[in-house]
Amino acid sequence: MKIQVGGVMKIFLLRTIATLAALAVPPLAMGQPAVRFDAHDLSGVWQLASGGGGQGPGDNFPSLTPWGQARYDSNKPGYGPRAAPGGNDPILKCDPIGFPRIMFAIWPFEIIQIPGRILMFFEGQHTLREIWMDGRKLPSDPEQTWYGYSVGKWDGDTLVVETTGFNEKTWLGAQGQPHSDQMRTVERYRRVDATTIQYNLTIVDPKTYTRTWETEPRLIKPRPGVEILESFCVASEEEEFARRIRQPAAQTGK
Amino acid sequence: MKNERLNPVFMVLAILLMCIPVSAHHGNSAYDEQARVSIKGIVTEFVWTNPHSQIYLDVKDKSGKTVNWGVETNSPAILTRAGWTSRSVKPGDEVTIIMCPAKNGAPVAYAGSGDPGTKVIFSNGKELDFQDKTGK
Repeated sequence: MKIQVGGVMKIFLLRTIATLAALAVPPLAMGQPAVRFDAHDLSGVWQLASGGGGQGPGDNFPSLTPWGQARYDSNKPGYGPRAAPGGNDPILKCDPIGFPRIMFAIWPFEIIQIPGRILMFFEGQHTLREIWMDGRKLPSDPEQTWYGYSVGKWDGDTLVVETTGFNEKTWLGAQGQPHSDQMRTVERYRRVDATTIQYNLTIVDPKTYTRTWETEPRLIKPRPGVEILESFCVASEEEEFARRIRQPAAQTGK
Repeated sequence: MKNERLNPVFMVLAILLMCIPVSAHHGNSAYDEQARVSIKGIVTEFVWTNPHSQIYLDVKDKSGKTVNWGVETNSPAILTRAGWTSRSVKPGDEVTIIMCPAKNGAPVAYAGSGDPGTKVIFSNGKELDFQDKTGK
């Protein structure tokens, strides 16, 4: 049986096929231009994509100094290859997560660009990080803080952020990697397409590591539709949680 | 219910476990994350707090004795993106929770986004899991 298709019906079928094809084939594959983006505009809600290193800069760190080794040995993480119940992760007491560990945490963050500064608003512990973009230099003798003092500048399409002025109370990651108050970091953010920021972190901390640590490159991806919600760590509530669940779960000899 | 056999559902879960980052922010080493164990009981309390929400429920053990279990779950922000509210679970609700039990046998457990397959099932059949629904 031969099916006759009239002119109007033929046009309808061709348009339907074209529409379905457009839906099925990614724009790039059809030769259309990629979504346009401004490489110097990092604003929006983002989150680190999963990757090597997990919730930290990774375990491929350089050899530790004796001081660094002692710190590493005394850090008892609940995550990673040395994980054990209980432990002494500072954030279990709601200590500030600190930088750079906050970058590797499981929560989204918003980048806000305003004149003279870039703000990073992290959902984790509802934390605001400031990066000064007004041309100032790093302080030569900074106070010790949980997030350090950050200055940034554009190097072509790469945002380069240098940070110094850390205390020694935080871990670099959930696996318990240590650092000292001598740590300096350099971050490089490069928006390579509309939905990807390449993130590179360099850690220089001669008191802890015998050489510079170029951590594993990571990707930062957008979180469309996500708003930054209130995620304070409330010490009184955390203490109650520890008493009722964490400590019973970690007890041995039962 | 203990999923010890390599059935297809378990294998899918195992693959998901390899693909999705563990979402407890400090680690879950106190729990047996390979196990998915079911407990059924009456909710006594739903604690909607940072950084860990908690569900407490009375569960009858094999001898008929009532034991109050505590189940650790995600922060309100992560639960919100999984479709929960602070009123999703209420005292008096009869629920079944698929969870990862504590390794030491204490009546505490984890059910949350770090362990796919964990969820809460209500007596009317409605289910709430912990996976992000925002389409990242």
